[in-house]
Amino acid sequence: MSNSLYRVSTANQYDNALRNIGQRQTSLSNLQENLTSGKRVVRSSDDPVGAAQAERALTRLSRIQTEQRALETQRNAIAQAESAMGEAVGLIQNARELIVNAGNGTLTSNDRATIANQLQGLREQLSEVANRKDTNGVPLLGALGSAMAPFLGPLGASPDYQFSGLAGQYSSTGVSIPNTLDGDSAFMFQPQRDGVYNASMSAIPNGRQLTTDAVKPTDLALVTGDSYTITFSAVGPGATAGTSSATYEITNTTLGGPPTTVVVPDYPSNKPVNIAVTGIPGLSLNITGTPAVGDTVTLQPSASVFSAMDSVIKDVRSAPNSNAAIQAVGQALANLDAGLERMHNMRGYAGELLNRADRITGDQEKRSIQLEGDRSRAEDLDMIQGISDFQNQQVGYEAALKSYAMVQKLSLFNFIG
Amino acid sequence: MSLLNVGARALLANQVALQTAGHNIANVNTAGYSRQSVVLQTVQGQFTGGGYIGKGVDVQTILRNQSELLTRQATAASAVDAGDTVRMDRLRQLQEVFSGGPSGIGASINDMMNALSDVVGSPTDLTARSVALTRMDETATRMRDASQRLDEIAYTAAEQLKVSMNAINSLATNIAGVNEQIARAKGNGQPANDLLDRRDQLIRELNQHIQTSQVAADDGTVSVFVAGSQPLVLGNKAAVLSIEDPSDFGAGSGKKVLNFQQPGSATKVELNESMLGGGQVAGLLRFQNNDLAEGRNLLGRMAVAISESMNTQNRLGLTLAGQPGGNLFAPISLGNASASTANTSGATMGLQVADPTKLQASSYEIAFTGANAGSVTRQSDNKVFSFTSIAGLQTIMADGGLAITDGSPPPSAPFSGAAANDRFLVNPLVGAAALFESLLYSPTDLAAANPVNAAMGPTNGGTLQLANLTATGQPSGLVLPPATGVVLTFAGSPATFTLTGNTGAPVDASTTPPTPIGGPPYAFTSGKPITIDGWQITLQGAPKTGDTVTVGNATDPQYGDWYKRNTGNASALMGLRDVPMFDGAKLSDGFASAMAQIGTRTQSAQFAAELSSQIATNLERDRTAISGVNLDEEAARLIQFQQAYQASAKMIQIAQNIFDTLIQGLGR
Repeated sequence: MSNSLYRVSTANQYDNALRNIGQRQTSLSNLQENLTSGKRVVRSSDDPVGAAQAERALTRLSRIQTEQRALETQRNAIAQAESAMGEAVGLIQNARELIVNAGNGTLTSNDRATIANQLQGLREQLSEVANRKDTNGVPLLGALGSAMAPFLGPLGASPDYQFSGLAGQYSSTGVSIPNTLDGDSAFMFQPQRDGVYNASMSAIPNGRQLTTDAVKPTDLALVTGDSYTITFSAVGPGATAGTSSATYEITNTTLGGPPTTVVVPDYPSNKPVNIAVTGIPGLSLNITGTPAVGDTVTLQPSASVFSAMDSVIKDVRSAPNSNAAIQAVGQALANLDAGLERMHNMRGYAGELLNRADRITGDQEKRSIQLEGDRSRAEDLDMIQGISDFQNQQVGYEAALKSYAMVQKLSLFNFIG
Repeated sequence: MSLLNVGARALLANQVALQTAGHNIANVNTAGYSRQSVVLQTVQGQFTGGGYIGKGVDVQTILRNQSELLTRQATAASAVDAGDTVRMDRLRQLQEVFSGGPSGIGASINDMMNALSDVVGSPTDLTARSVALTRMDETATRMRDASQRLDEIAYTAAEQLKVSMNAINSLATNIAGVNEQIARAKGNGQPANDLLDRRDQLIRELNQHIQTSQVAADDGTVSVFVAGSQPLVLGNKAAVLSIEDPSDFGAGSGKKVLNFQQPGSATKVELNESMLGGGQVAGLLRFQNNDLAEGRNLLGRMAVAISESMNTQNRLGLTLAGQPGGNLFAPISLGNASASTANTSGATMGLQVADPTKLQASSYEIAFTGANAGSVTRQSDNKVFSFTSIAGLQTIMADGGLAITDGSPPPSAPFSGAAANDRFLVNPLVGAAALFESLLYSPTDLAAANPVNAAMGPTNGGTLQLANLTATGQPSGLVLPPATGVVLTFAGSPATFTLTGNTGAPVDASTTPPTPIGGPPYAFTSGKPITIDGWQITLQGAPKTGDTVTVGNATDPQYGDWYKRNTGNASALMGLRDVPMFDGAKLSDGFASAMAQIGTRTQSAQFAAELSSQIATNLERDRTAISGVNLDEEAARLIQFQQAYQASAKMIQIAQNIFDTLIQGLGR
C-alpha cells in the first residue's frame, strides 16, 4: 500500500490542473473587464461599500447639476430684475432733472404742460419696468407672490397705488437665490415706515408766495398715515407795528374731529415768515411765505414712487403760476429722493444676490470636483495597477498552460516497449 | 509435480494482478471508481521432515482502496460547495436588478426628484410639469420591471428546485436498489467492489442536491439521512422529498419549504431549513426564503415609501386649477396579514401604512398567547418584541411604520384581537413594487402650488425673510387659515411671537412626536421651522417689535390667481429627497443602501462559495490520493507483474524440462 502523501490520482491531477487554469482564465477575464470598463467596482459585490459610495457621489453630482441649472434660472431672473431696477432708477433721475426744470419761475403754463407730458412718458415707462416679467412670465418684482402686474394703480381711492401681492422677500439658501425681488419694498411707501407725505398748497394768487418744504418724519412710531389739512384761519396785524400774526388750524381729515388751533408768534410783515408746523403727530414741515386767511396746505400720505410722480405731473400741469409749480417741484424732489433711496437699496440687494449666485457656483464647482474625486476613488481602477496586475496574471496563465502541456506529455507508458 | 503446481498458481495469480491493473487503467476516468489491488498470500507450506516446503502463491482478495472517512468528508464538503455555489449564482442575478450607476433605478428615482426643480424654477411652464410627470411614470415602470425580474429569478429558482427534487427522489430509489444488490452479494463472502463504488457515487451525486449523513448497517446496506435525522433511504426503501408552500401561512408567505414523506405514509413533515446543511436545494431555499425576500422587501419598501410620501404631499398642494391635488401614484394596498391555518379565532388582520419613513424591509410574525397579548418577531433580525395589549401591538408595528386594522374595506376599524396560539405573518412589502404605478398624466394636475401663502407686514422694520413655507399636514392635518390669515406678531429681544387666527398651538415638528413650543409668547429662533395647523413656516432674520407675518389661504379670493405662479408644494415634493426614509438614509440615498445590502450579501456568498469550493477541492484530492488511479503506478505494476508472470512461465518450462530429463533418463 503506497502512502497517500506521495500519491496523486491521474484523473484528479487533470481535474485540478483544469480547475486552476479555469480560475486563472476567469481572473484574467475579470481583470480585462476592469481594464476595459476602467472600473475597479463593476458589480456592487466587488466592493459593496465602494459601490454605495460611488452611487451616493453620483446622486450628489446629479443633484448639484440640477441645483446649478435652477440657480442659472434664478440668476437670470435676478439679473433681469436688477437691470429693471437700474432702468427705474435712471427713469426717476431723468424725471428729477425735468422736475427741477419745471420749478424755473420763468416758465409759462405751456412750458410746464410740456414738461408734464414728458414726465407722463417717463411715468408710464416706470410702470412698465416695474411690472416686467421674467422669461417664464413671473413678475420680477413679485415678492412672495403677486398678480401678473404687481403694481396696481392709479386707483380712484386712497391709497392710489397698491402692491397687488404678498410683500416680503424669499431668503437665499446655500445653493439657491430667490427668483423675485420684493417690489413692495422697492416702490411702495408706508407712512409708518417711510413717513413720505405730499403737501399741496391751495391756489395762491400771482404775486404772493407761500410754499412748504418737504414733510419730514420726526418720529416714525407716531406717524398715523392719516391725511391732514393746515388752514390759516386768521392773519392780521401783530401786537406791535410792522408785525403780523397768523393762526392756523390743523385738521385730521381722515378721522375728522375738532381742529387744533396754533397761533404763530408775531413776525415782521415785510418779510416772508417761516412757520415750523410741529402739531402733526410724528411729522414736521415748514411753511414759508406770506400766508393769507383761507390758505390751505393739504398733507396726504404718498403710497408709492408712482404716486409721487402722478402728483407732480398733475400739479405741474395744472399749476396756474410758479408758486404752485415750485410747491409741486419741492415735494416731488423730496419724495422721489425717498423713493430713489428705497430703489437703490433694492438694486444693491439684487447685486448682492448676483454675487451670491457667483459664490454658490464657485462652491458647487468645488464640491463637484470633490465628489467626482470621491466617486473615482470609490469605483475607478488605478490603471497602472490594473495593467500590472493584468500582466502578472497573464504570465501566470501562460505558465499554467505550458506546465499543463508539459506534465501531460510525461508518462511511464512512453518508456515501456 | 508440486513445482508445476507452484508455477501454475503463480502464473494465475500474476495474471489476475495484470488483469486488475488493466481494470484500473480502463477505469482511470470513471467517476467514483476506486482503485483495486490484488492481495496475494502464500499458500500454507507442506510439512516434511526437512521443514515447511512452500507451495506458492494465491489470490486472497481484490482490495478496494478507499478511506471511509475521506469519502464521507469529501462528499459533505462537495454538498456545501454545491449549495454555496448555487446561492452565489442566483445572488449574482439578483444583484444585477440592484445595479447602480447612471442607468440604475437609483438614478431614475433621483432624476424624478430633480425634474421637479424645473417645475419650481418655471411654475408656468407646462413642459417642465410634463417632464416631471413622465419621470414619475418612468420610475414606476422601472420599479415594476425590477419586480418582474425578481419574479423571473424566483421562477428560475423554483424550477431548479423542482429538477433537484426529481433528481433526489430518483437517486434515493437507485441507492435503495443498490443497497439491496449489495446485501444479496454479501453472501458471497467477497466485497462487491464495483457496486460499493456505484453506491458511493450515487450518494455523492445526491449530495450535490442535498447534504446527507450515512449510517452503515451490518447487512452491508447504508441508510441515508437528510436534515440530520430524516431517513431518506432506509435499507432498500426510499422516502420522497417535495418542495411546497409552508403549511401554516401558505403561498402568502412567499416562502417554500422542503417536505419529507416516509414510504407508505401520507403525512408530510416540514424539514427545518436551518438543518438542511449543504446541497443545491438548501442553497436555493436559503436564496428564495432569505435573499430574494430581502430583495423584494427592499424594493417594495422603496415603492411604498416613495408613493405614499409623494401622494401625501401632492394631496396637500393646489393644482393649476386651484383644486387640491390628487394621488401621483396608485395607492399601494398592503393587503391583509396571512393568518395561520391553525388559527382558532378567525380574526383577519389588515395592514396600512402609518408612517412611510419608518417602514422596515422585513416581515413580521405575530404570535398571540392570549386575545390581546403575545409577541412580534421581526424576521430580518429575529428580534422579538412582546406586547400585553392591542395598543402595545400597535406601538410595536408603528415603529415599523405600519398600522393594523380589522381588514375590512376602508374606513376600517382598528384590529381588535385574536385568540391564544393564533399566528399572523405580516409581509406587506414583498409584492408592493409590482403595484407601483403613476396615475397623473395631465401636467395641470401636478399640485405645484402651496395651499397657503405668506406676506410680511408692510411696515416691518426688521430683516425678516421667508426661507420656506410648506404644507406638511403634521401633526394632525392641514387647517387652512381664515380670510384674515394667521398672523404672527413679533415683539421684544430676544424675539418672541404671538399668534392670531390659528386653531392649534405651534409645535416643533423636528422631534418625534412633535413638541409644543412653550408660550404664548412663543420663542422665535431665526431659521427654525415653526409648525402651525399643518403648515410649516421658516423665517430668517431679526424681527423688530411690531413686525408681522401673515399666512393666508392661497385660494382665498383676495389673493386672485397668484397661486398659479407659486411652486411651494413642488419644492416640498422635491424636498422629500432629503427626508430620512430608509432606516435613516435619505430618500435620494435609499437605493445606494439597498444596493450595498444586496452587494454585501452577494459578496459574502461569493466568499463562502470560494472557501467551500477550496475545501471541497482539497478533500477530493485527499480522497482520490487514496482511491484514484495513477497511470504511472499502473504502468509500473504492469511491468512488475509481467516480469513475475514471465518468471512463473519460466518456472513451468523448467518443471517440464526436469520432467523431460526424467522421462528420457528412464527410457534408456
